[in-house]
Amino acid sequence: MSTAETPINDRFAAEAPAYPRHAGLAAAILATGTKASGATAGAAPTGALTVEPTMPTPAVSGTGRPRRRNHHAEGLEAGKRGTRILLWIVLAAAMVLYGFPFLYLLFTSFKTPIDTIAVPPTILPKEWTLENYANALGRSGVLASFINSAQTAVISTLLSLVLAVPAAYGITRYKTPSGRVFIMAALVTRMVPPVAIGIPLASMMSSVGLADTPIALSIAHTTISLPLSIWLMSSFFEAVPNDLEEAATVDGCSRLGALWRVVIPVVSGGIAVTAIFAFLASWNEFLFALLMTAIRSQTTPVVIANFQTQFGLDWGSMTALAAVYSIPVILLTLLLQRKIVAGMTLGAVKG
Amino acid sequence: MSSRTTIFRIAALGGLSTAVLLAATACGAGGPAATSGSAASTVNVLVEAGGHAELTGVAEQCKKDTGITANFVELPYDGMFNRLSSEFSSGNVSFDVAALDSVWLPSFKDAVQPLDELFTDEAKKDIFPALVKEANVDGHFIGMPAWTNAEIILYRKDLFEDAKNKADFKAKYGYDLAAPTTWKQYQDISGFFTKDGMYGTDVKGGVETEWLAHVLQAGSPMVLDENNNVVIDNAAHKDALDFYTSLVKSAPPGAAQVDWAAAQNLFNQGKTAMTRFWAHAYRQIPKDSPVVGKVAAAPMIGGSAGVAGVPGPWYLSVPKATKNSDAAKKFVKCAYDHNDLGIESSLGLASRISAFEKYQDKAGYGSFKPLIETLKGQATATRPATAKWQQIVDTVLVPLLQKAVAGGDSATLLAEAKKQIQDLLK
Repeated sequence: MSTAETPINDRFAAEAPAYPRHAGLAAAILATGTKASGATAGAAPTGALTVEPTMPTPAVSGTGRPRRRNHHAEGLEAGKRGTRILLWIVLAAAMVLYGFPFLYLLFTSFKTPIDTIAVPPTILPKEWTLENYANALGRSGVLASFINSAQTAVISTLLSLVLAVPAAYGITRYKTPSGRVFIMAALVTRMVPPVAIGIPLASMMSSVGLADTPIALSIAHTTISLPLSIWLMSSFFEAVPNDLEEAATVDGCSRLGALWRVVIPVVSGGIAVTAIFAFLASWNEFLFALLMTAIRSQTTPVVIANFQTQFGLDWGSMTALAAVYSIPVILLTLLLQRKIVAGMTLGAVKG
Repeated sequence: MSSRTTIFRIAALGGLSTAVLLAATACGAGGPAATSGSAASTVNVLVEAGGHAELTGVAEQCKKDTGITANFVELPYDGMFNRLSSEFSSGNVSFDVAALDSVWLPSFKDAVQPLDELFTDEAKKDIFPALVKEANVDGHFIGMPAWTNAEIILYRKDLFEDAKNKADFKAKYGYDLAAPTTWKQYQDISGFFTKDGMYGTDVKGGVETEWLAHVLQAGSPMVLDENNNVVIDNAAHKDALDFYTSLVKSAPPGAAQVDWAAAQNLFNQGKTAMTRFWAHAYRQIPKDSPVVGKVAAAPMIGGSAGVAGVPGPWYLSVPKATKNSDAAKKFVKCAYDHNDLGIESSLGLASRISAFEKYQDKAGYGSFKPLIETLKGQATATRPATAKWQQIVDTVLVPLLQKAVAGGDSATLLAEAKKQIQDLLK
């Protein structure tokens, strides 16, 4: 294999043996020339450049024993004992505030009908039952609505990423006045009330024969997630030093090659974060789904809302379906947890 | 192979995959698309989630009778008005028949077709007079009543039949304890049962219909007269409001926030001895409720003008923009012909007098006689036919009630409300 045909990653590895395989010159620059430690935890696609996280390692004293742990303590481990306790209390309070509504929803889904409307309300069920789950999942159209929600969210997420990644890259790398105007304009679209664009959008989709389809709803959802995605990806691209790309181009990469082989793997955590936000924006969206779907493409948030009618509120079934509907996003978040944390860190180490 | 070629190949593959995915998902999982006029033998029926059950049995029968299949587009009440507005204004409708709340008829009168041919003399005799009047907008009948409701009195018959309660009540008030028929009786009974952690009634500050029923009972049209003059500050409105707020002392605390759901919960939990509530609630008491089997129904109470209630009907209408008019009208007629099938549903309502009468003596339908009597009441009337009605309710009437039940001066509040409504109607 000639030098020209040698995969660039392998060449990096050969030229920079002090760094782990696939890290190469660019990784060396990242690790030594910047403060980008912990930039990309997690696995990157095979063949792509991977920058291993440079986790802080305990310093070793002359006697071979680790130095005192407090020396490197950070976050909730930092400071005086009193401060730490206070921080833990605040953290616990915040967790209760955020977690309680979901826990209450979960417990309510296991209550009997009369228990769900108890006055005053109770937190735990007096009698545990799965009746609400049977009612909710047995309702016609529920399974179809789950499939529709998944289809819509996946398409919307793909569309957002396909459009946001090159847009954000172009804006951050070329820094043209029009780019700045574009990114501000993207933000402005978030300031328009969704209902203001929902109704004309529904009419437009109907005019082009896309009424009541997941594609139409996905496009509508992309109008919500795309501005956010562009802004998020812009901040992630900003954090990647130009030196990294220049090193890649010195080694023979084109602009696109550097983007694909060097920059994208470095910001993969950021892409995961963006994908999660785009997915969630679509998965939980209600108004556009209400205006644009009917029989064929109705999503689960509309079905959940249907448990509240003019003639009563079926709390038990509503909470049961909401609990089931939240499982996929919880699993997705847990699966991508490392990428998300890495992505968050990436945004904080702009160097 | 150069890296650029690889990138382009991957991009092409990604694009192709996305295209395939998009194509594959063009068909949603819920069945055929909701497009008006998709097939002559199929009609898409837009209905509020609670009304779906009402029409399910009807739709099955209509398929047998006419060969028309009904696909239901089910939406939550709060979003249905937006959806209807959106589709009517665009001229592209995804439904052939819509079940419309009575308060929406004036707003959509220009977007739906006249159904005059369905309102024969025979039909008009079998529909409650207030509904016949309401369905007629600008000289045309634009909606066929599918089901209707009205507030009646639900009360705890076990408490009312208790010997000690009967004796104590007679000793205190000088007349027999029985289902109330007048405002005074309702006040007395509410006060009597407010003891030992229980309340005589509820007071709903979050909804306006009940107070408006009392306005009718006091002999005045609701809020607007026949010429659309604002009459909310007249004596009848004040009397009704004073009666309404007089019950606060016999009701659970927090009246300003009590709405239909809260009031229903309180009654089903056994916290209130009486409630003025929509008739369907009689059949919806949970099986594990402490009051199940202990509830009886009576007609709405009467004031100086007699018994009166505010009907809550839903109408089946056919949009002008549908391409399936014939099938849609056939379905509406069929739904009227088999109106009684709605009574077998979980909601258990109908719109024809004959349908209610057919079931009124059957076990479990004890609310029907009081409902019929209330709907036939001399003073019973539907809400004013103005497109601004919902806005008036949300921005004026409900805030007015919330202030009134919290102790506000009724005359002052009504005078302020009059000005606000006049501004809205300008």
